[in-house]
Order: sequence, then C-alpha cells, then structure tokens
Amino acid sequence: MLVPLQVLWANTPQRHANANSLVAIIPIALAALPIYYFRKGSPQVDLHVALFLVAGSVVGAYTGARLLRRIPDRELKIAVAIVLGVVGIKELVFP
Amino acid sequence: MSWGDLLLIVGGLGAGFLSGTIGIGGGLLFVPTMTVGFRLSQAVAQGTSLIAIVPTAIVGGFTHLRQGNVLIRPALWMGGGGVVGAVIGALVAVEVPGSVLARVWGAFLVLSAYRLGLQALQATQRPVPPPQVG
Repeated sequence: MLVPLQVLWANTPQRHANANSLVAIIPIALAALPIYYFRKGSPQVDLHVALFLVAGSVVGAYTGARLLRRIPDRELKIAVAIVLGVVGIKELVFP
Repeated sequence: MSWGDLLLIVGGLGAGFLSGTIGIGGGLLFVPTMTVGFRLSQAVAQGTSLIAIVPTAIVGGFTHLRQGNVLIRPALWMGGGGVVGAVIGALVAVEVPGSVLARVWGAFLVLSAYRLGLQALQATQRPVPPPQVG
C-alpha cells in the first residue's frame, strides 16, 4: 500500500518509494504483532515454517536491496505493477 | 532437513528478494506461499507471516539505508503513521467481514497497478521534441 501511495500521490521516484516502504514496515510489523496476538487470543504460528521461511527471506531481502540501484525506474515500476495486479486480482476473485 | 524445509527456504528467498526490490511487506507473498504451496490455513499463514516479516524487513531496510536508497524523513513519517494505521486497522478488521476487506484491498491494488503501469508506459512514449531550426 505504501509504495503506490508514494509514487502516485507524492511523485516519489520508484527506487526511493520501494526502499522507504520496507523501512516503514519495520515499526508497523512490530506494532501489529502484539495487537494480532492479544485480539486473536492464542497465537496461531507455525514456528518451524517461520524459521525456514526466514532463513531464505533474509538472504533474499539483502540481495534484492543491494540490487535495487541497478534496476531502472521504469522496469521497477512495471515489476511493481505486475505484482500488485496479480495479488489484487487474486484478492478480488478469491477473497 | 526435509524437501519441504528446502522448498520453504526457496520460497522465502523469492519472497524476500521481491520484498527487497519491490518494497512490499513479505506478507503479500509469504501468505500465498504458505497457503497455496504448503496448505497451511489462512489464520496460521497470517500469524506466521507476521513473524517472518520482521527480520526480513529489518535486513532489507538496513541494507537499503546503507545503499542510500531511503529518504529518511518520509520513511519515518510513514512508519509512525503506519503504526497508528495498524492499530485502527486491527480494530476495524474485527468488525468487517474478511471477504469485504479482501475485495476492497484487491480493488486498491488493481487500481494502483493500472496507474503505475500507465505511468511506466507514458515514460516510454514521451514525444520527441522537434529539432531546432535556424
């Protein structure tokens, strides 16, 4: 949500918008974590899955963040549009 | 370590990479990876995704900071505003049916994708200025 808002409303260059968004997610995710658990009661987490998912995702996030500077703004915009479009259609068709 | 664990690492790698380049929270990709790929229930996938997002965003976010990709002030404002939004969102989410939320969210994403795509196309179709005469 943060990426399109920055680019479409605030004319932020795509590279900065993507990076800003990931930084802003850190406090948001930290705040959402206790809210989710307190409101939902018993935590529904598969720690085994989380562990292996994170083992891959931190390496992926590091590599992706380092590569970002090399991707032209236009191609980055197209990639964001494709991912948002696919996930958006999925949410509309199979909510 | 089983094949399933290896697939989880590969799935995490892909989701993390897109998170680092595209800037979306891992949740957008972690949840479908777990529900479609590993048949986890939506509730477990969402809870697990929230746990997985934190280290992913910290590693990606700090790498962006070191690479000079971040505009500090807007990022701080968004982070602060997002925390307030997360609290309000959590309260609203309890009252509104999940399918309604998903459809509103889906419509926002599709509209954003359309406008971003249009912007990218317009950037390539900018008219070439006529040559200066005289």
